[in-house]
Amino acid sequence: MNIKEKIKYYFVENSAFIFSTPAIMWQMLFLYMPLLIVVYMSLKINGSSCWYAVTLAHYKALLAYDYLKIITRSVCVAFGVAVLCLLCAYPVAYYLALRVPRRWKNFLLFLLTLPFWTNFLIQVYSWVFVLDHNGLINTLLLKIGLIKEPFHMVNTTWAIFLVMVHYYLPFMIMPLYSVLEKIQHDLLEASMDLGATHWQTFKNVTVPLSLSGIRTGLLLVFVPAFGEFVVPSIIGGGKHMFVGSLVTHYFLVARDEQLGAAFTIMSGCILIICALALNWVCTVVFQRRVREHS
Amino acid sequence: MRNIRFENIMKSYNGDLILEKLSLEIPSGTFFALLGPSGSGKTTLLRLIAGLETVDSGKIFLGNTDITAMPIYQRRVNTVFQNYALFPHMDVFDNVAYSLSIRNIAPDIIEDKVLKILKTVHLEKHVYKSIQNLSGGQKQRVALARAIVNEPDVLLLDEPLAALDLKLREKMLLELIELQSTLQTTFVYVTHDQFEALTVADHMAIMNYDGEIEQVGTPKEIYEFPVSTFVAAFVGSTNLFKGTLHIVDGLYKIELPGLGLFEVTEQKGKSWACDKASVFMSLRPEKVEIAKTPMSGFSNMLEGVVQSIVYHGRSTQYNIALQNGMVIQVFEQNEEHFPQEVIDYDDHVFLYWQKENVVLLEK
Repeated sequence: MNIKEKIKYYFVENSAFIFSTPAIMWQMLFLYMPLLIVVYMSLKINGSSCWYAVTLAHYKALLAYDYLKIITRSVCVAFGVAVLCLLCAYPVAYYLALRVPRRWKNFLLFLLTLPFWTNFLIQVYSWVFVLDHNGLINTLLLKIGLIKEPFHMVNTTWAIFLVMVHYYLPFMIMPLYSVLEKIQHDLLEASMDLGATHWQTFKNVTVPLSLSGIRTGLLLVFVPAFGEFVVPSIIGGGKHMFVGSLVTHYFLVARDEQLGAAFTIMSGCILIICALALNWVCTVVFQRRVREHS
Repeated sequence: MRNIRFENIMKSYNGDLILEKLSLEIPSGTFFALLGPSGSGKTTLLRLIAGLETVDSGKIFLGNTDITAMPIYQRRVNTVFQNYALFPHMDVFDNVAYSLSIRNIAPDIIEDKVLKILKTVHLEKHVYKSIQNLSGGQKQRVALARAIVNEPDVLLLDEPLAALDLKLREKMLLELIELQSTLQTTFVYVTHDQFEALTVADHMAIMNYDGEIEQVGTPKEIYEFPVSTFVAAFVGSTNLFKGTLHIVDGLYKIELPGLGLFEVTEQKGKSWACDKASVFMSLRPEKVEIAKTPMSGFSNMLEGVVQSIVYHGRSTQYNIALQNGMVIQVFEQNEEHFPQEVIDYDDHVFLYWQKENVVLLEK
C-alpha cells in the first residue's frame, strides 16, 4: 500500500466519524458550551473579578416558596397540556392511520402541518382576537342573544391551556400517527377473532402497540410546554409567572444573570426528573400485563 | 360439533363480484380443505365464517344458528392467520392466554389450559419466550395453540404453512391431521397447494377463478373422478384430449383427431355422453405405461417419440410427442437402480393404458 492508498483507506474506514464531525462540532459549540457557561454563571460570585470565586448562594436564594411555586405551576400546566393533547390527538391519529383511505392520507397530513406555515407569534396573537371581550366568540354569542355580557376569557388559565393545546397538538398527532400506521391490521382482526370486543382490542392491542408514540408525543409536548413563555405573557397577560417568563425576566428585564442562570439550571434539572417520571408512568399505566410472571 | 352451511352467498369488493350465489356445506368434525387458485375467493369464504367480512346477501349457518350478522367476537370460531398475526408485545404464554384472559377466567385455570395446549403443540420449553425470538415453525405452533385454546366449534386455517420450508411443512401437516383427530373440531383449511389439500383433508372443495365451487368430495374422489377439466388440471397433472364420442352397439369409443379411436368405459348417468358428442378425455400421466417394445393386455395404445425427460427422483417424467403434434406427460416410477430398458431422447415408444383409467368430461 502506498501513501495515497493509505489515505484513501483511512477516509473510507472512518467515513462515519468524518461526516458526523460538523454536526458534533455544531452541538459542542452552540449547545454544550453555552450550557457550561450558564452553569458557570450560576455559580459565579456577582461582581467578583476573581474568575474562580464560586458560590451556591444563588441556588440557596431560589429555595424560596415563590420560586418553587412557579416551577410547580409550570410542571402542572405542561403536564396538563401534554395529557389534554394526548386525549385530543389519539382519536385524530387513530382515524388518520387506520380509517382514512390511503389517497386522502397525504392531504390530511398536509392540513395538519398547515399551522406551522404561520408564525408562532401570529398564531398566538390571533387567539386574542378570538377570545377578547369584543372578539369573535363574544360577538357571536351576544348577537345570537345567548349571553348579555361578554365572557371573560382572555387572561385566564384555561385560555392558556386552550392556546397551548392548540399549538402543540400536531407534535402529539405526528408520532402517534406514525406508530399507529405501522400496526398490522391482522393483529386487530386476530384480537377480535379471539373474542375481544372493539374496546378490548383497543385497550389490549392498539394502545400497548402505540406506547412508543405516546411516550414520544408526551415528551415532545411536555418539554417545550414547560419552558413556554410567549403564551402565558400574551394570552395570560403576564398575570401568572411561569418558568419561561421568569427566566426571560431575569435575563432581559432584571439583568440578574447569576440568579437567572441558577434558576435555569434548577428548573432544567426538575424538567429532566419530570420527563423521566413521565416516561416511567407511561410504562406502568399503559403496559398492562395479562399476567405477572416471575 | 356443528356443521357450516352457506346459502346463496353474494360477495363483492369495490364492484367486483367475488362470490356469486355460492352454496356449500362443510360437515361437522371434518378436516375440510378449500382448494383453489389465487383470487378464487377461498380466503373470502374463510373470512366470512370468521366474521372478518360481511356478505352482500345470503346466509351462513353454524349448526342451526344463523351467524350471518353475528359480531366476530361472539362466534365460536377461531382463525390461524397466514402470517400468524401474533401479538408482538406479548410473550408466548400471553398470546395463547389472550382469548381466555379477556373472558375473565380465573388465572389458575388459564395457566392450566395454556400449559396443556402448549404441550400439545410441543412448545412447553418456550412458554415465556418473546415472540421475536421464535422460529417460523414455532410461531406457527403458537398461532395454532392460541386459536384452539378456547375450544372453538370451527378452526379456520388460512394458508398456515405458506411461509415454512418443505420438510417443516410436511411435518406440520402430519401434526395438524393428528391434532384434528384428537380434538374432533371442524378444521377448514384454505390453500392453493394441491399437495397440502390432498394430504390433510378428508373432504375438500375445489373453487375456480370465478369463485364457483366446481366439486366437493373426498381427496380420492376429486383426484380420480374429477367432474370438469378445471378440476382435472388443477388437482394433480393430467393430459387433456378433446375428441368426439362414438357409441356403437353399446361400446363407447372416443375419436381423437389425428390419433384414431380409443376405447372408454360405458358412461352411466351422464346425459351429455351421447353419440357424436364433443367431449374431453383426462388421462393421468401415472396411469400410462411406457415401453420401447410392444406389449399386450392393454385396451389402448399410442405411439410417440420422446421429446424430453425430467428426472424427479422417485419418478421420471417423459414428454412424448404424438403423431398429431400433441405432447403428453407420462410418469414412470423409478423402481430399479439399473432398469433393463433405458428410454432416451428421440426413442420411439409405445404408450398403453386401460380404458377404466381415463375420465370423460363434458367441459
